[in-house]
Amino acid sequence: MERDGQLSDFEVVITQLTLEADGVVSVRLERVDGQPLPPWQPGAHVDLALPVGITRQYSLIESPADLSSYRIAVLQQPNSRGGSEYVHVFLRPGQRVRVGAPRNHFALEPADAYRFIGGGIGITPLLSMARAADERDADWRLHYGGRSLRSMAYRRELRAAYGDKVELWPQDLRGPLPLERLLPRPEGDGRTLVYCCGPEPLIEAVRATAAANGWAEEDVRFERFAPTVHEHGPDRPFEVEARRSGKTVAIEEDESLLDGLLRAGIGVSSSCRSGVCGACETRVIEGEVEHRDDILSNAQREAGESMMVCVSRARGDRLVLDV
Amino acid sequence: MSELLHVAPAARPQRPARPSFKRLDLDGIRAVVGLPHETTEAKIVPTIGETARRFIAHSPFMTLATCDRDGRADCSPRGDGPGFVKVLDERTIALPDRTGNNLVQSFQNILQNPAVGTLFFVPGLRETLRVNGDGYVTDDAELLSRFTADGRRAKLALVIEVEEVYLHCGKALIRSGMWDPRWQSLADDMTRGIGVFSLMEIEKGAPHGTSSEIDDWIEDAYRREL
Repeated sequence: MERDGQLSDFEVVITQLTLEADGVVSVRLERVDGQPLPPWQPGAHVDLALPVGITRQYSLIESPADLSSYRIAVLQQPNSRGGSEYVHVFLRPGQRVRVGAPRNHFALEPADAYRFIGGGIGITPLLSMARAADERDADWRLHYGGRSLRSMAYRRELRAAYGDKVELWPQDLRGPLPLERLLPRPEGDGRTLVYCCGPEPLIEAVRATAAANGWAEEDVRFERFAPTVHEHGPDRPFEVEARRSGKTVAIEEDESLLDGLLRAGIGVSSSCRSGVCGACETRVIEGEVEHRDDILSNAQREAGESMMVCVSRARGDRLVLDV
Repeated sequence: MSELLHVAPAARPQRPARPSFKRLDLDGIRAVVGLPHETTEAKIVPTIGETARRFIAHSPFMTLATCDRDGRADCSPRGDGPGFVKVLDERTIALPDRTGNNLVQSFQNILQNPAVGTLFFVPGLRETLRVNGDGYVTDDAELLSRFTADGRRAKLALVIEVEEVYLHCGKALIRSGMWDPRWQSLADDMTRGIGVFSLMEIEKGAPHGTSSEIDDWIEDAYRREL
């Protein structure tokens, strides 16, 4: 969690662990140094550096109005590389971890209506977004899918708070989310925004259904916690001019653009190193980018104004970056 | 007897005899140290419980002892981020093998004799954890994928079928001051500014380059192949 060589993170203490559903633990974090927690908007996530040196991104749940603590929820993954296993098996109140300032690639934008679609642990960013939409008195619905009711965290709280605006779709009882029905062809003048978070198959199904039913690409937003597999050509060496730093770096074929910049002493933030968290987003001044991240929309990629340097590379021989 | 003393020596140069001392048997050893407390023996259990699992999850370093079919032993260090050794269940652990020196001495031994002994360390903790069992090497893709860290993949994994698990008391680490910062300067005293591999090469009288060339080559290998 480095930004220009300085750490932008801070220490928090675990004050509570709660078993929210089968395989889902929520963690309450409070700041140790007495400073207020950084403010955040619905849809935001933070980096959490676990004691064993693993850093993961987690959506903030509960209310941005309450800055006395942050809360995240973690799904236990059976073949975890260690992150979710640590939180579920080893993390205890009193332990300290480092947390980064909130980032948001899933912000709630003004619209006439919202449709929230969450699958499994993907409900986490949608919790605060539903609350915000409700406070604005917007026209909104949340469709929440999961393996079974007992695996679906916060289902009771959602139904109790919002009644029929929340519909639960436990797969073992009701089958998969009926996306064709949930994403009908948009009609009328009002703009509806769709926010979807969940496992990759759900995200892909929502993307495909929405596209088939004439939804504008920029009206259907996704948040991913794990990178997708991108097909791309072999890695080639290329040159990058870091204009603000006044340096030109030759990026080798077996290193990422991020690593090349860091090697040359150019300060670039980074975190996930897999194109999902957005920490390394860098403005592009010149050159065509081969995008391999999971953050930018097709429109943003075509505009080519920024790139995630941890995974993306140059399409040609040269890039000029504002770094 | 006298005939043996007059056997003409072969032209082969004689190495000086090793120093040798009275060898104690178990009774002789027990006469000095006594018997273990009954609770000490009971501490060896056949499974990894909660404490041992937590220990291994926080351990970035272990030593691995193996021996070949003739009983010749060998010991090597293994390390990575804390928790690099995964506890698969209460009787099975696995550790990744990344780029190494390709001698694969430990693996060759394990193929001849699967018995392994391991000792886990947690920086700052005086006690160590001993885990013994039988090992085997695998390239199972799903298992290997659990070891990917910072984009580095494991090429192989060593699976250990655990037979014995027990904590070792902290006396050795306390006496050695292993975690005491004051002893960090010993490294400089040992090497006097020259890389350790260079020192060995110079001693052999046929260095594969100047000491600074050898040192640079080693540093580069550490950087590239980590």
